[in-house]
Amino acid sequence: MTDPYRVLGVPPTADDEAIRAAYLAAIRAHPPERDRQRFEQVRAAYEAIASEDARLAHELFDTSLPGAAEVLDLVGTDFQPRRPDLQRLRRVLGAT
Amino acid sequence: MSRHAKHRKAAAKAGRAPESDGLDAPARAQAALSQGRYREAVELHKELLKGERRPEWLDCLAQAYAGRAEGLAAKGMLREALALWHTRAELCGRPLAEGPYIDWLLQAGEGDKALGLLAVAGQVAPESVGQLETRLAAVALLAADSALSRLPADSALRRHRVPALAAIAAYGRGDFAAMDEQIQAIPFRSPYRDLRPLLKALAALPERPAEAAQALDRVPARGPFEPLAAALRVALLPGEEWLAALGSLDEEARQLVLDLKGCPPARRPLLIDLGRLGAAPAAEPLFDLLVRHRQHLPEGVAARLCRRLLPHAPACLPRYRGAFGRLSVAEEERLLALAAELRGASPEAEPHWLRVARDLAGAPARSRGAALVLRRLADDRAHCGVDGSLDDEAMTWLARSVELDPDDRDSHVRLVQGWRRRGDLKQARAHLEAALGRFPKDVQVLLEAVETALASGAFKKAVGLAKRVLELDPINPRVRSIIGHAHLSHARKHIKAYNATAAYRELDEAVQWLRSAGERGTSKLLRGLADERGKQANALLREGVAEWGGALLGGFHLALEARRVGHDAQAALRRAGVDAAATPSAEQVVALAHALNGAGDKDRLLGAALAPFRAALGRAALAPYAEADQLLVCEAFNRRGERQLLRSHAEAAIRRWPQRPVFVYLKIFAGYGDRPWAIPDRDLRTLERALDMAQEQGDQRTVVRIRELLAQTVQGFGPADEDWGEPEGLNPEDPAFMLELLLNLQGEKRFLEIARAQLGEQVFQEMRREIGGSTKQFARALIAIMVEAAGRAPAKRFAPPEAGAPPDAAVPFRPAPRRKTRTPPSPDVQKGLFDD
Repeated sequence: MTDPYRVLGVPPTADDEAIRAAYLAAIRAHPPERDRQRFEQVRAAYEAIASEDARLAHELFDTSLPGAAEVLDLVGTDFQPRRPDLQRLRRVLGAT
Repeated sequence: MSRHAKHRKAAAKAGRAPESDGLDAPARAQAALSQGRYREAVELHKELLKGERRPEWLDCLAQAYAGRAEGLAAKGMLREALALWHTRAELCGRPLAEGPYIDWLLQAGEGDKALGLLAVAGQVAPESVGQLETRLAAVALLAADSALSRLPADSALRRHRVPALAAIAAYGRGDFAAMDEQIQAIPFRSPYRDLRPLLKALAALPERPAEAAQALDRVPARGPFEPLAAALRVALLPGEEWLAALGSLDEEARQLVLDLKGCPPARRPLLIDLGRLGAAPAAEPLFDLLVRHRQHLPEGVAARLCRRLLPHAPACLPRYRGAFGRLSVAEEERLLALAAELRGASPEAEPHWLRVARDLAGAPARSRGAALVLRRLADDRAHCGVDGSLDDEAMTWLARSVELDPDDRDSHVRLVQGWRRRGDLKQARAHLEAALGRFPKDVQVLLEAVETALASGAFKKAVGLAKRVLELDPINPRVRSIIGHAHLSHARKHIKAYNATAAYRELDEAVQWLRSAGERGTSKLLRGLADERGKQANALLREGVAEWGGALLGGFHLALEARRVGHDAQAALRRAGVDAAATPSAEQVVALAHALNGAGDKDRLLGAALAPFRAALGRAALAPYAEADQLLVCEAFNRRGERQLLRSHAEAAIRRWPQRPVFVYLKIFAGYGDRPWAIPDRDLRTLERALDMAQEQGDQRTVVRIRELLAQTVQGFGPADEDWGEPEGLNPEDPAFMLELLLNLQGEKRFLEIARAQLGEQVFQEMRREIGGSTKQFARALIAIMVEAAGRAPAKRFAPPEAGAPPDAAVPFRPAPRRKTRTPPSPDVQKGLFDD
């Protein structure tokens, strides 16, 4: 399973209330009739961390393997998109 | 070989050919061309053209040169290919700028030469000029002004270059208004026209990706600015897909994408490598990557991700320690436990989890974690029966988890159920009190209180508790049934004590709560049994039998109720007019099988209730059952230990379905399940064939059952009166040997039950907690301790206690620290140690 905190967009320190609010917002944004797969993902994520016990169990027993997307999310938290360097742009434009 | 030598060889070959293949020279030249022997085709056509300059031979020569040049270019020999193309143009009178020539020039970095083609009139066919200008737009854009100055003044490449460069410069400054203005100056038919959507897409990134994608859709594939278009397409890919697509770009385009994404330069190698690993990278390569680039990641990210990878790549643990420092004991044990589980080795995970629990339990703030770990261990299939019963270890862990996390209601409930199932009502009540103290108004806990009161025979208390449940949950159908059954049980108690009036009162109460016809039938049966003489009572018995569905099932329930109230079953059947000897139909037997399956496992009277019907049930084996029904019947008899009936039905089933190995197993199990060492060779071979057949049919349950039975034929012990001799090297006076023997004969579960009875519950539980490990490990540790104690103290008895006997208080030894070696006790102390 993908990191449930990442799916719901909450920090690992989030409490029950914050997680529930994020869950409700996520299912409003991805209702099952529009995106079933995403909805299931959101629901599974919520079930995994809905309560303190569930979060503790997730922390102790989770064996999900982080995928490239998750690594990218963690690695790219401080990315600041910008225009490419003009010289580089010219080199790419001129490449054949 | 030199070029001249090759040339001579080809010519000689061409000259010799007519003698060998009988073809004339033009045919041989054509054959060489059509078969892709371009070098030979060139030579042959050149020879032909020396004689006569026919246009079709000139075309063929041009084709042969083109083929040969393309072959060279495909091998990366661009210079040679270009030289050959020049020869082709000279000898065959073809324009230079056709076919792949321009591509080769650009690939060879000869952009200026390509532009030069446009500068010289006649080098390019007039109708191809526009196409060539578009092709060379990227070259012209970045070429030196001097190279452009050679082009005609009206060349689009010269005229539109200025606004194109100005638009790029405006984008570079972030002046998008100026950029738009300059873009407008690039005509739609300009060779630079693709720059318009490309610059718009760039300007829309990253804030407006949809707009950028829309602009990019207007750029045709393989245009003059394809590298930039490709980079932008990658940058617009959703999620992490762009990462994997980075590999399809050259280095400059990759860096441009990473610029657009805002990736700091130090982290770019990590992302490029991550892209190469794909969307779902394997644990070890990803671990390597994170460790290698850890300095460039935000604080703690690499360590956190690596810890998640460790269960999948436990071999990386030393490298983790080297890179990020040591893990806490609990964390390291947790990772090792998860790693063991992931490779399917749950028994190996257990000691790790126990160490995790022990470590977490030491810190009050983390004790809930310890409780969770213990609950997980108790839930492991290895400790949990198919009926949900827990073994000793699981019960111990669950009890400890409740101590650590008393708010977990489900564990309280499971403990109460577990002890009740084992018949230890004292323990069940103790846990129930703890649970009720914490959850006084919880329906589930109250239901357990009801069940425990019923199991204790405290029917009034059970009814009172059930009514409390109904106050909280008025429509709970289970409670209504429980209350009804509590009154039935109370009525049985009164019937047994010949107190018919009180029994009737309870039965009156019961019918208010009971809903099913069967339950009401039971009420009538009990009413009839309460009065052994009245004619009306016999009518009630008949009605009760009818409500249960007639002769077999009704008769069985009557016999069962009669035994429960201490009456003679045969007499009761006679009073109800049930002919127990009549052979029942297949449907009746199946209904009985369902009833047997639905009855509690601990109802010891079921066998007695079946007794009057055994002969008839045996004959019913030949009834026309469906295969699934006969299997259901067999399994029901198997579950109740009705071996003779099982054998009859399994034999009948084999005759009808000889290809079903499960019946073979059941038949042999019926005969020898309690003494597998006695299975004759012929039956062993039959079992082995059935095992093969079950494997072929994918019947895994039967495979496992046959394997277990076969294994017992090897490991089992013979009957006590047979002389099996003593295992070599073991002394029967050695307590270790005797205890090992006891363990082997009784099994771990029974061995621990005996130990519990001998040591007392409290001492046993303390030892269980201190020693930990699996059931097997604990049993072995107990043997070691007992052997040592035997060496310290006078003779201690360790044998199965009498039924109901209290724990032996004369064995008060506390668990000594675990030792790896056993100290053999002195011979005097051993003597008489195991009299039982």
